Amino acid sequence: MNARTILLASAALALAGIGLAPVLVILARSILFEGPAGLSYYQRMWESHRVWTLLGHSAAVSGLTTLLTLAAGLPLGILLGRSDLPLRRVLTALFTIPLLVPPYILAVLWFHILGRQGLAAAWYFGLPGCVLVLWSVFLPVVVLLVMILLKTVNPRLEEAARLTTGWPGVLRGVSIPLIFPGVLLAALLVFLLSFGEFGVPMYLRYGVFPVEAFTQFSAFLDFGAAAAATLPLVMVTFGALALERVFLRDRTYILRPIAAVGGPAEIALGKARWWVFGLAGMLCLVSVVLPFAALLGSVSPASIREALARAGDSLLRSLWYAAAGATLLAVLGFLLGYLIHNRALRFWRSVDSIAVFLFALPSTVIGIGLVAMWNHPATGFVYGTPLILLFGYLAQYAALTSRITVSALAQIPRALEEAAEVAGASWLRRMGSIVTPLAWRGIAGGWMVAYIFCLRDTGISMMVYPPGHDTLPVRIFTLMANGSSELIAALCLLMCAASLVPLLVGGALLLWTRPA
Amino acid sequence: MIRFDSVSKEYAGRAAVSGFSMSIAPGERVVLVGPSGCGKTTVLRLLAGLTVPTAGRIFIGDRKVSGPGTLIVPPEERNLGFVFQDLALWPHMSVRGNLEFGLKARGTCREERERRIREMLSLVELEHRAGARPGELSGGEQQRVALARALIQRPATLLMDEPLSNLDPELSLRLRADILRLQRDLGFTLLYVTHNREEALALDGKCVSLVWPLFQKKGAIPG
Amino acid sequence: MLRSHALAAIAGLTVLAGCRSLSNEVVVYVSEDQVFSEPVLKDFEKETGIRVKAVFDTEEAKSTGVMNRLIAEKDNPRADVYWANDPIRAELLRQKGIAAAYVSPNAAGIPDHFKDPQGYWTGFSARARLLVVNPAAKAKPASILAYTDPAWKAKSVIANPLFGTTTAQVAALFTVWGDGKAKAFLDSLKRNGVKVSTSNGESADLVASGEFEFALVDSDDGFSRAKQGKAVEIVYPDQQEGGIGCLIVPNAVVPIHGGPNGANAKRLIDYLLSTETERKLAFSDAAQIPLHAGVETPPLVPRIEKLRTMKVSYSDVARKMQEIQPILEKWARE
Repeated sequence: MNARTILLASAALALAGIGLAPVLVILARSILFEGPAGLSYYQRMWESHRVWTLLGHSAAVSGLTTLLTLAAGLPLGILLGRSDLPLRRVLTALFTIPLLVPPYILAVLWFHILGRQGLAAAWYFGLPGCVLVLWSVFLPVVVLLVMILLKTVNPRLEEAARLTTGWPGVLRGVSIPLIFPGVLLAALLVFLLSFGEFGVPMYLRYGVFPVEAFTQFSAFLDFGAAAAATLPLVMVTFGALALERVFLRDRTYILRPIAAVGGPAEIALGKARWWVFGLAGMLCLVSVVLPFAALLGSVSPASIREALARAGDSLLRSLWYAAAGATLLAVLGFLLGYLIHNRALRFWRSVDSIAVFLFALPSTVIGIGLVAMWNHPATGFVYGTPLILLFGYLAQYAALTSRITVSALAQIPRALEEAAEVAGASWLRRMGSIVTPLAWRGIAGGWMVAYIFCLRDTGISMMVYPPGHDTLPVRIFTLMANGSSELIAALCLLMCAASLVPLLVGGALLLWTRPA
Repeated sequence: MIRFDSVSKEYAGRAAVSGFSMSIAPGERVVLVGPSGCGKTTVLRLLAGLTVPTAGRIFIGDRKVSGPGTLIVPPEERNLGFVFQDLALWPHMSVRGNLEFGLKARGTCREERERRIREMLSLVELEHRAGARPGELSGGEQQRVALARALIQRPATLLMDEPLSNLDPELSLRLRADILRLQRDLGFTLLYVTHNREEALALDGKCVSLVWPLFQKKGAIPG
Repeated sequence: MLRSHALAAIAGLTVLAGCRSLSNEVVVYVSEDQVFSEPVLKDFEKETGIRVKAVFDTEEAKSTGVMNRLIAEKDNPRADVYWANDPIRAELLRQKGIAAAYVSPNAAGIPDHFKDPQGYWTGFSARARLLVVNPAAKAKPASILAYTDPAWKAKSVIANPLFGTTTAQVAALFTVWGDGKAKAFLDSLKRNGVKVSTSNGESADLVASGEFEFALVDSDDGFSRAKQGKAVEIVYPDQQEGGIGCLIVPNAVVPIHGGPNGANAKRLIDYLLSTETERKLAFSDAAQIPLHAGVETPPLVPRIEKLRTMKVSYSDVARKMQEIQPILEKWARE
């Protein structure tokens, strides 16, 4: 048993223990302890007409959101990543903003714009509203992934096609087919994220499965009902992941970025340039500028002072917890990513599946599981403290950092590590001197992504935060019920600032140290 | 007639090609020789329109196709074939698909497409591999597909970037003979890049040596 | 490098967490809006020096809020007190064995039907379910039966009975009228063109804007619109002799069985049930009706002794709510 095996196995064990075990505990408890009564919940649920309605609603929200984000995200990703569209960087940054805040905040912002009365309001509270908000939140996921994927297409393949056809033909025939498995993955991600989303449909009073299922839990105190309710969510997640494994795993063509002479070509838009810019600009206006301008418009120095007074402590806590969570996730993700990338242990496939499964699982499930597992006198040092929050973050977001690590490692030729091994360096030294320095940019990127997700987390935080230790998203959620709109706007602004400032610093650092 | 007129190309302050001038008559066979990094590939790319010169002009026939910083005629209209160094066969298409792509893009009718594909496949002796994916082919077979793909459009000029560098000597010889035969039969202009002097000699064409960007010499290679 | 920093962070956190606080504190889970409840808790802190650690909730977060936590923590409770904003939830906690019994001396002044006889929960500071009426309406409704009266066809609005206090209202009607009459009432709502809004607040606004003539809402929604100067009149329904009265939805304080700070819990409960707290909540924007007789209230807020209130057993209402869920879902769908 060498250091490598011990470390990697520990990481896998940590994932299983912190992440998977709570979920298993819920299911086990409902079946074992509630006995036959527990099973009857499952039966009752399946027979209930309402469950199918709710699942249908959930599928509708997720399905429409996925289709629309793909429809807009693919062209946008191409335009922002590969064309000579003016102000590309600015537009990309703007489109990414909705990803930085909890989705329900966008729902609130849109509510302020559309108002309570009239046709717009009637339309907003329901499926269209949910889709609108979730579309603007998850659009950046597709856009950014498409941009990254396009960078990995061998430019020669595109150039070979350029000799016989213009860019539309090249994109259609070569670029898009090559990145398609990755695009489908992005679509799957959006589907799962919007399926498990509860904040927005709850606010918009649209009955989807995660919302109603857990209303049952809190309204009628049925642990068994809650467990039964998690089952469809677990199954959908499971099914989607199985699809990924079966259809997409073997279809990823050589997608590693290849350092070639000249690099990927910029697509000249020619005469259409400004016209396309107008279109992209309008899209940006609708999905980002409008709601956030409304936000800024409602804010005054007085309201910011009030917001700081009411939520300043939770803001500081949020920053601290998110940073700690991101750091732990970066470490765990690195080890898991290494395990997966190098297939270092026999069960590497399971590790990847478990991580992604947990990521897709609705936060309420993880939250309840965490409580069920850790709320004992003996484990008070976890449960009554911020550590439980960190455990929640580790459980839910490990897949992010591990997958980012995998792609960072994929860019390092294995020969580099092997050369060090042949020269006699131990595994730990190889990790420290070769792998980590080469992959650090990917690791840093993973840290920033993890930071955003930990900061904006609401579902898990709300379930397990120790009394008196609430985080900013939770505080906003509770104050939203009766705070003035100016106060809410100021709080949202604080939330954005909390997300953006560390990112801008980190992003600047990455850019500044970019290899020439 | 292809003409390079004092063409220079800079990448991030570094000159890949500097003040390069050359003329190529129709049907001529020109070999660009030189060590790696001296700008041979860049010359090909400039001619193909995959990149634009920083200075100078490029003509194909009477037409100016590239000027300083501008692409006047896009690649798809230059009637060129290009065999890349790493072949760049589209992995998601079969051999037939790779051949068909350009024809489809140009709107060639189905009958004509079929005819040309059959013709090309027999020319490079790959009729039995039409349905295979590039990943399933041997090195030599992939080479021939790349060649066929470049030639199926009946280009006036064929550009080849170190096409034989990854093959064993025996295969190399055979393919070289094939290339020469095809040029004789189809009559295209050949612009061939290699760093291998023996190969350059064997191709028996006009040799242009590019040693460093500032140095270019027409005629026979020294030594 | 990253790794050693992380390990240091974990170690630090563990140490911090391990220090079991022996300080003087009480843990309370709160369903009442933070905006109203926090000041009261802060006053308690100031007056007694006991540190209050709170977990807040919101109507929106029904599915992830403090109720979930209380249930999930049942075997190892972390909370000492639960401040519910309706007695139904309190009742459910009692039924599930999560509540403990404590009869506070301050509960003496609270009418019996607003508290559990053994002290598992005690009501205070209530909302009333009342009608807001647009002043321009030609006829003023006096009973909730106005919803089924053709004179007001398509002129009334009600919040979605699948959510919040409206659900409790409907369940209460089922217990008071019996299944048959209550179901008939629901069906008549449909026939009489009653609009279903998304919340009590929206109902109140729709009446204020003149789109509808009346709506059944919570008293704090009505009072807040009136304070803002909007066009609403307050009518307490069914106040006539023999009428069923208006439904009262009190806050409820619930001692949690097995909570860590038993003594402090009692002190907090006594404080919340005091007349002083009820006075504060009456004068706040929550505008809640004190259940102790004789407590000073602002002009808008009525005295409980002056109102005819619906006599319901909240435990029956709690049970009924579970039963009628399928009926309500079916009603909402059609």
